[in-house]
Amino acid sequence: MSETEIARPASRRGGSRRGEMVVHAVLILGAALMIVPFIWQVLTSFKTPNEVASLPPTLLPTAPTVHAYATFFQTVPFLRQFMVSVSSLVMRVAGQLFVASLAGYAFARLRFPGRDLVFTLYLLMLMVPSQLFLLGQFEIMKELGLLSKLPALAIPGMFSAFGTFLLRQAFRGLPAEFEEAARLDGANTWQVFWHVMLPMARPMIAALAVLTSLYSWNDLLWPLIVTPTGANRPLTVGLAAMQGQYGTDYPTLMAGALVCLAPLVLVFLLLRRQFFAGIASSGLKG
Amino acid sequence: MHKRRLGVVAAAAGIALLAACSSGNGTPTSTAGATTGAAATTPAAPVTITYEVWAGTQTPAMKEIAAAFTKENPNITVNVQELPWPQYWSTLQTGAQGGTAPDAFWMLAQQIRPYAAGGQLLDISDEIKAENVDLSKYPKAVIDLYDQGDGKIYGLPKDFDTNAVWYNKALFDAAGVAYPTADWTWADFRATAKALTKKGVWGTAAPIDYQSGYYNTIFQAGGRVIAADGKHAALDTPEAIKGIQFWTDIMKDGSSPTLQQMSDTEAETIFEQGKVAMYMSGAYWALQLYNNTALRPNIGVAPLPVGPAGRATVSSGIENVGFAGTKHPQEVKKFLLFASGQEAANIQAKSGAVLPAYAGTEQTWMSAMPDFKDLQVFIDASKYAVPLPVQGNAAEWQGLQTQYLTPAWNGQVPVEQAAKDYSAAIDKVLAAG
Amino acid sequence: MSTATRVPVRRRVRRTGTPTPTRRTRRRTDWWAVLMIAPATLGLAVLYLWPFLETFLKSFKGNALFGPSKFVGVQNYSNLISNDAFWHALRNSMLYTALVLLGVPLAVVLAALIEQVTRGRTIYQVLFFLPVVTLPVAIGMVWRLILNGDFGLLNWVLSRLGIPGEYWVADARLTIWAFAAVGIWMGLGINLIMVLFISGVSAISPELYEAWALDGGGRARQFRSITVPLLSPTIFFVVILTVISALQMFDLVFIMLGSVNNTAIDGSKTIVYLFYEAAFVQFKQGYAAAIAVVLLMVIMAATAIQFRLQRKWVVDV
Repeated sequence: MSETEIARPASRRGGSRRGEMVVHAVLILGAALMIVPFIWQVLTSFKTPNEVASLPPTLLPTAPTVHAYATFFQTVPFLRQFMVSVSSLVMRVAGQLFVASLAGYAFARLRFPGRDLVFTLYLLMLMVPSQLFLLGQFEIMKELGLLSKLPALAIPGMFSAFGTFLLRQAFRGLPAEFEEAARLDGANTWQVFWHVMLPMARPMIAALAVLTSLYSWNDLLWPLIVTPTGANRPLTVGLAAMQGQYGTDYPTLMAGALVCLAPLVLVFLLLRRQFFAGIASSGLKG
Repeated sequence: MHKRRLGVVAAAAGIALLAACSSGNGTPTSTAGATTGAAATTPAAPVTITYEVWAGTQTPAMKEIAAAFTKENPNITVNVQELPWPQYWSTLQTGAQGGTAPDAFWMLAQQIRPYAAGGQLLDISDEIKAENVDLSKYPKAVIDLYDQGDGKIYGLPKDFDTNAVWYNKALFDAAGVAYPTADWTWADFRATAKALTKKGVWGTAAPIDYQSGYYNTIFQAGGRVIAADGKHAALDTPEAIKGIQFWTDIMKDGSSPTLQQMSDTEAETIFEQGKVAMYMSGAYWALQLYNNTALRPNIGVAPLPVGPAGRATVSSGIENVGFAGTKHPQEVKKFLLFASGQEAANIQAKSGAVLPAYAGTEQTWMSAMPDFKDLQVFIDASKYAVPLPVQGNAAEWQGLQTQYLTPAWNGQVPVEQAAKDYSAAIDKVLAAG
Repeated sequence: MSTATRVPVRRRVRRTGTPTPTRRTRRRTDWWAVLMIAPATLGLAVLYLWPFLETFLKSFKGNALFGPSKFVGVQNYSNLISNDAFWHALRNSMLYTALVLLGVPLAVVLAALIEQVTRGRTIYQVLFFLPVVTLPVAIGMVWRLILNGDFGLLNWVLSRLGIPGEYWVADARLTIWAFAAVGIWMGLGINLIMVLFISGVSAISPELYEAWALDGGGRARQFRSITVPLLSPTIFFVVILTVISALQMFDLVFIMLGSVNNTAIDGSKTIVYLFYEAAFVQFKQGYAAAIAVVLLMVIMAATAIQFRLQRKWVVDV
């Protein structure tokens, strides 16, 4: 099924082009509202700290300067922290995808004693606010001798109930016919999972990858707590350090925040293709 | 498709391995060879200690101090680590509860009590005696501030602050008002603020700020915040009420932005924006105001106005403390003394970032900001400095100030009533221990 | 994702989505399953369940920060319930959650609209995704500027329209509404992703649309009568997650209030903010743990209610 066929309803007769323009208008309005704060962020990053505090605030920077960006790259050990952010993200996403796809499928499609009870436990852990786990997880990392080491940043997030919850939902939404067909062909559970269901779930797995990347990249408090010697601190720490006890360097903060979100947008764009590819190859039609 | 996923997982593992290896060369924690106990007679084994500070303008000076210390003690490397200020205390606390804390770190008077009571801090009184440290070189108010009454000394002040009135000369000139004199009184302050207030400009800023604001006036009126026995609040005494009324009068006169406006924008920011003529606050703003090149030529400093019972300013400061569970107590103690000592104080003074606690370094601090002619006011104020009241669970009862004092500031409740209610609330917290 | 060639509601799939077992496998436990849930469950038990149980126990003990604290029974809970600040915070959290839920239908509509256009889909997705990707610190600061009572962008726009502006983040009556607006703005991208890609608006079979169109149905009614019901399991899922995360909201409040001297702070605290205060500012460990446990119970109740209501509107696909 190609994209154009999916999009066919939109190009039907009956004022569809006008309809599409209305849709565009609404979307553009929405998108504009979405990015107004963003634009403000960009403008602020080119101002001086004094100008940011000026009253009334200026819209465009009166004397645009890249000083904030320079300050950011000078004061923040960018490359080192960037590598930490990237590495811990990759570890955490890989781990979560692995753990959650297995468990998500099992909870969705397989039978075993206590299944619903155990899943309720997952749901419960999701409902507990994350601040509660900080101390306990810290103590565990300490026991494992992982303090200030890279894996410690990624490990708790890898086992988050969120991924399992998401993928269970995803697997439940997949049609059962293929499983049944595969089983009739003699495939065991693992083969059904690995060769049939997993490929069909590619879009959802990509979505989980995007969301987990988000949580990993923007994580601040846990990386701080688990790196007592200061080794292996990610970018979020370097950025947050722009906030002093007295006074915050806003332009540098904005500049850094903009620099830091670029990789995430990249991840999103890369994984986006997975979504449509998944639908196309799932061979659902006919 | 699964092949691709395998590839991703493999790549992930590879990258992680690579990064783990490379970042392992970063900052090693304590190495073997450090001796424990008092019989540490072999200092030659290399040791690294972590010194945690909160991020801000002081970090370069801290790194300089660390380097200077290593020069004198080549086997001890000091790893200066910054934590963002909003997360400093939660990170420190979680780590300490989990049994890990930086070897040396900054402490504030409002926070020290649970750490000291919980046995988390190093007692450095033996090192102070051994090195014959002259405690009179430090402001008495700050030394007393950190005294936990258990006979131990947990750290020495590295800096201190007093309060004065920062003012904007240009706004005074524009309004044709004379600059404050050294002997000006409460009445003078109020009148000046009123005279300076016109469209778009306020005479002063009056946020509900205990350290920069009403504690000072309470003491100037002869009152106290907490009674001498430390068990009751003293805000409901007539003197203390007078001290609070200083501010509610200013609000009544309309000489200050509203509380809402100051919640939207910090009072100091409004001062920097040139919308407020006088701002009662601490010495710690000096460098920031100095770096505001547009504002710099107009800055003047006046002493706090004289109250009914004379002059007073609350004073506080950051102390360098050590973790009781550190693997290198001897080295940490040495460093703590150094970091609060004369050489370190000079380094801090030169940067201008903060007013060092060690006597004799004030001149250097002032010289770091030559365009400010009045900084001596802050130094002189230490003569009438009073320790910041931090009895009991100070963070908790100080946190109640907004709830009880806002109605008084807004004129909805008479000051006496608000002070009485707040006092009662503080008593409850103090009683709970 | 449906492959049905007939109308979905008549599919013979069991409610839980588990395929009807053949006679052969009906009573056999799938051992593969146990293996597959092992890593996740082990990790969950060690890294989440255990710390939570520790906290749960702590809620019955005293407030000592370091070292052992004595057992105090339910005193922390009774202190909590008799504290006005708690009820106020609960009310704030619930109001915030109710408001943020408005973002879910918004996301669904947006997802559908994005799927309608033939061009520019990527750009729209990225634009709606951007807020999600930005650091909360930066978001908070920018929104504080926009919502500033004296010179913020919002009040400037309102003044042009003749509407008086307010102190959005400094007035206790308004702060939760301001937070909710920012919360919706922030969450839109995440909800969009989930709606789009978990079950996929795009994956809803065009054949259904064709059949509908042939019957003369209009676009909007098509949306309401086909798309939404088919999406309802996903929407339900998104609602569950939204409620959970909204009741847990902390960072936004922390950042947008600006400082603890904000006069609106007492009226603007959420439950997790109360927890943070108790744990890290007031050093009351047992009390803080009690707050967390109570919050968990609130979320459990809210979730249970939603599961019950599910039968009314979620179509079994």
